[in-house]
Amino acid sequence: MNILEVKNLTKKFGGLMATRDVSMNVEKNSITAVIGPNGAGKTTFFNMITAVYRPTSGDILLNGKSLVGLKPHQVCHFGISRTFQNIRLFNEQTVIENVLVGMHQRLKGHWIGTLLHFPEVTREEEAAKVEAYKILQYVGLEEFVNESAGNLPYGAQRRLEIGRAIAAKPKILLLDEPAAGMNPKETRQLTDLIHDMRHRLDVTIILIEHDMKLVMKISDYLYVLDHGELIAEGKPDEIRNNQRVIEAYLGKEATQRG
Amino acid sequence: MIKNAFHKFADSTKAQIIFFAAYVLITAFGLFLLSDSVIAFLVLLLSILILYYLKLNVRIKWALGLLIIAVLVPFAASQGSSYQSFMDVGTLVLIYVAMALGLNIVVGFAGLLDLGFIAFFAVGAYTYGIFGSTQANKFMPFGHFPVPGDAFWLFIPIGAIIAAVFGILLGIPVLRVRGDYLAIVTLGFGEIIRIVFNNMDHPINITNGSMGIPSIEPPSFFGIPIGQPSQFYYIALVIFMLAIYVATRLEHSKLGRAWKAVRDNEIAAQASGIPLVKTKLAAFAIGASFSGMMGSVFAAKQMYIDASSFTYLESTIVLVMVILGGMGSIPGVILGAAVVIILNNQVLTSLSTWLTQLSASGVVSVPDALSPAKMQRFIFGILLVVFALYRTKGLIPYKNKKVDAAHLKAEAAVKTSQYEEHPEAEGTH
Amino acid sequence: MSQIIQLLPQVLVDGLTLGFVYAVVAIGYTMVYGILELINFAHGDIFMTGSFVGAGVLFTVMSMGFMSSAPTMVLFMIMILVAALITGVMGVGIERVAYRPLRKRNAPKLIALITSIGISFILEDAVRFIADWTTGNYIITTRPLFQHKFTIDFHSVFPFFNNATFQGSFLVVSIVTIIMLISLDLFVSKTKWGIAMRAVAQDRETASLMSINVNRVISVTFFIGSALGGATGVLFLIQYGTVDPYIGFILGIKAFTAAVLGGIGNIRGAMFGGILLGLLEMFAAANLSTITHGAMGSEYKDVFAFIILILVLIFKPEGLFGKATIEKV
Repeated sequence: MNILEVKNLTKKFGGLMATRDVSMNVEKNSITAVIGPNGAGKTTFFNMITAVYRPTSGDILLNGKSLVGLKPHQVCHFGISRTFQNIRLFNEQTVIENVLVGMHQRLKGHWIGTLLHFPEVTREEEAAKVEAYKILQYVGLEEFVNESAGNLPYGAQRRLEIGRAIAAKPKILLLDEPAAGMNPKETRQLTDLIHDMRHRLDVTIILIEHDMKLVMKISDYLYVLDHGELIAEGKPDEIRNNQRVIEAYLGKEATQRG
Repeated sequence: MIKNAFHKFADSTKAQIIFFAAYVLITAFGLFLLSDSVIAFLVLLLSILILYYLKLNVRIKWALGLLIIAVLVPFAASQGSSYQSFMDVGTLVLIYVAMALGLNIVVGFAGLLDLGFIAFFAVGAYTYGIFGSTQANKFMPFGHFPVPGDAFWLFIPIGAIIAAVFGILLGIPVLRVRGDYLAIVTLGFGEIIRIVFNNMDHPINITNGSMGIPSIEPPSFFGIPIGQPSQFYYIALVIFMLAIYVATRLEHSKLGRAWKAVRDNEIAAQASGIPLVKTKLAAFAIGASFSGMMGSVFAAKQMYIDASSFTYLESTIVLVMVILGGMGSIPGVILGAAVVIILNNQVLTSLSTWLTQLSASGVVSVPDALSPAKMQRFIFGILLVVFALYRTKGLIPYKNKKVDAAHLKAEAAVKTSQYEEHPEAEGTH
Repeated sequence: MSQIIQLLPQVLVDGLTLGFVYAVVAIGYTMVYGILELINFAHGDIFMTGSFVGAGVLFTVMSMGFMSSAPTMVLFMIMILVAALITGVMGVGIERVAYRPLRKRNAPKLIALITSIGISFILEDAVRFIADWTTGNYIITTRPLFQHKFTIDFHSVFPFFNNATFQGSFLVVSIVTIIMLISLDLFVSKTKWGIAMRAVAQDRETASLMSINVNRVISVTFFIGSALGGATGVLFLIQYGTVDPYIGFILGIKAFTAAVLGGIGNIRGAMFGGILLGLLEMFAAANLSTITHGAMGSEYKDVFAFIILILVLIFKPEGLFGKATIEKV
């Protein structure tokens, strides 16, 4: 069953075509990767799904319902959470507060209830803290619970972003280069975490990643973008041997490195 | 040696209580004897700051603080001829603290630079000013004005609501504007309000224009008229307590976290499900309501208002309080407001008088142009620049509230949920 | 209606005068914003300082016996050059002391804005103090320098217009402004520094990689913007004869409005926005009373400018000539 369907998505910035006619079907509870060289339009694609940008044309359907025209926070309410390529934490707030912000839309308490000491608001707030702590344990950050998010080491910041995103109990989790800047050990832990989340949290994961080893290891299905266009899709083995992908992406990468 | 003794002192609750009690008693007694001394008055007020740093239970601190402000200070000051003027300064401090707490929600929590904040104060002041005087007769088709002094109490919530509505009306169009433009738009809005109030004597006379509104009815409490600063002090004190309560309760609530999230990173806040405009509007409205309440008090206290009390300079002074104290820090903002008002209304005027006396007796010659009371802008400008450059976090920097990790850990162990400990992620770092 | 048309020629002349002032001050805002994304609140006060420096020069020169008979034009040139030089240096100094440290430690924008408000206050009071101390009054009035009156005879050509009158100073203001605007435009588009300036405005990091000394470019920007602002202060003094330390505040906001109107960061846009705003404001001042049948008079002309500012920022924040920018995610 497809949880997310993307139909002919196109985004123009002035004369620049950032993505052209991209279509995707994401199966529920799968791990799907979007890969492609820098500037291929991957992040633009994520930004359209999360309503940061409005597509020039095309449609995005979550369980058959269109997301186009919603506000970013509404997309979150519909069940899509994300992390960011250039980490965007609430640096001045503590680690646990970051997770609590992630739970924002699930908390029912109104601020008037807070002022009047409504017992259910107080209870909810307490329960939220315990749950936030559990999430921190889950992503391995409980030792930093009272630390300011901005003071965390890099890898921990990436994990906190994931913790904040899953705090919203999303149906779909978008990870934008989650392994960027991580050392091999951290990357391994991340791989395990992503695997585990899929099963334990019953979430569909779409990720943008440059680390091919990681991508090939965890993805069920891949989409390859180049210059804003979808040039290939398939299972990891198919992509590995796809001539066009090797030319456009791996080949170029290889010549650059060589 | 000294350092050791200091540490010992810092750890010992008992020593601190004794010291504090001695300090308060001595300074209160000092003010009682030297009843007209500004310095004695200030030294007594300083006890509140000392109290803040003592290692005591928070509730005890609150109770002690309230006792000092509500009982001890008025009592100790009551002996001299300066009693009413001290209480007048005290009232002003409370009015401005509440306003600064309101602006702190907007600037400190939500990160929205509002340079026209005084407009909400003006709205509150004019609301009571118009209906608490004969002014309303000039345009109201029904009713007889001024309203009786007993109705003043109603105008405190009314002032809050009308200011909040103004906050929302301003916010709806304005909050779509990008961050730094917001500053200039709110500045423009503040000026518009002032100019409009200054000219609304025609075609319909609503505000009496630049003549201002005179003879505003003093409030009365079960028939007892309230006219002395020492009485307004207690009205302002109650609203001040309310403002502190609202600000501290909201700070660590869902809404407070949303404000700070919006401040720290708008895009991530939205992606976390926070509605941007609604959250910012709440900050505008709640912040404005503090000013609106105090506006009503101000109008009743002054018994006369005109638009010249609500200039850009006033908005900036409230901003100085927030920056000086520490953006987002409630104790800081309280201190900032107190320092600025006392500086402005006591220290500078006293200095000016002193310098004039010196000049008159020929000791030194200080040009009148340099009189400290006239150098407000210069002094506040310096404060803004120095604090922005060298102490961005203010006198009492904002501190994150820490959760009790051990307690949460115990709770988390009891409660089962879908997140069980992740075998690999455990034990890193 | 006929009354509005009759007044048009005079509105045009007055509006152009004011518009020229706005245009040049707006350039200072737009240049700094283009490079630093900072609303430099102090810029309006630099303009004000320029007008006081001009007045100071005038008083000093007049008190020197042998100079008092110098030709007005020479006097005027000295005033404007000295004012431009002093305010230009001040602008550079302010940037060094107040803004650069913040930039270095990557402080939030809010802090830089607050600093600039502080600087603006300091300037206002410092000027007030100096003026008050030296002359005994902080409101300065100078004798008119170019007071010959001209009348353009619109009426005989177009009978539905009234005649417009203006002083010689209007010509001086217009000519000097136009010279300043053209030279700035040439400077920015043709010279090495101008091109470096545009490069830094577009992408500071890349510009620094191309071995452009970013800090120096920013200093040059502040010098030019402030010098132009200060020179315009002198023009303002010449035209209106009276200045006080608080003129910079409202005028600054209006000039900023003009910069936004023309698309912030866009120098030609700022010129156009300034002139447009000047015309609109004078039109409003002359006709608000007629249009609203006396309900609102010229006292609302400032409100009018602010409303334009708010409307533009809400509905067309990129201005009439700017490009919409997309925030990078």
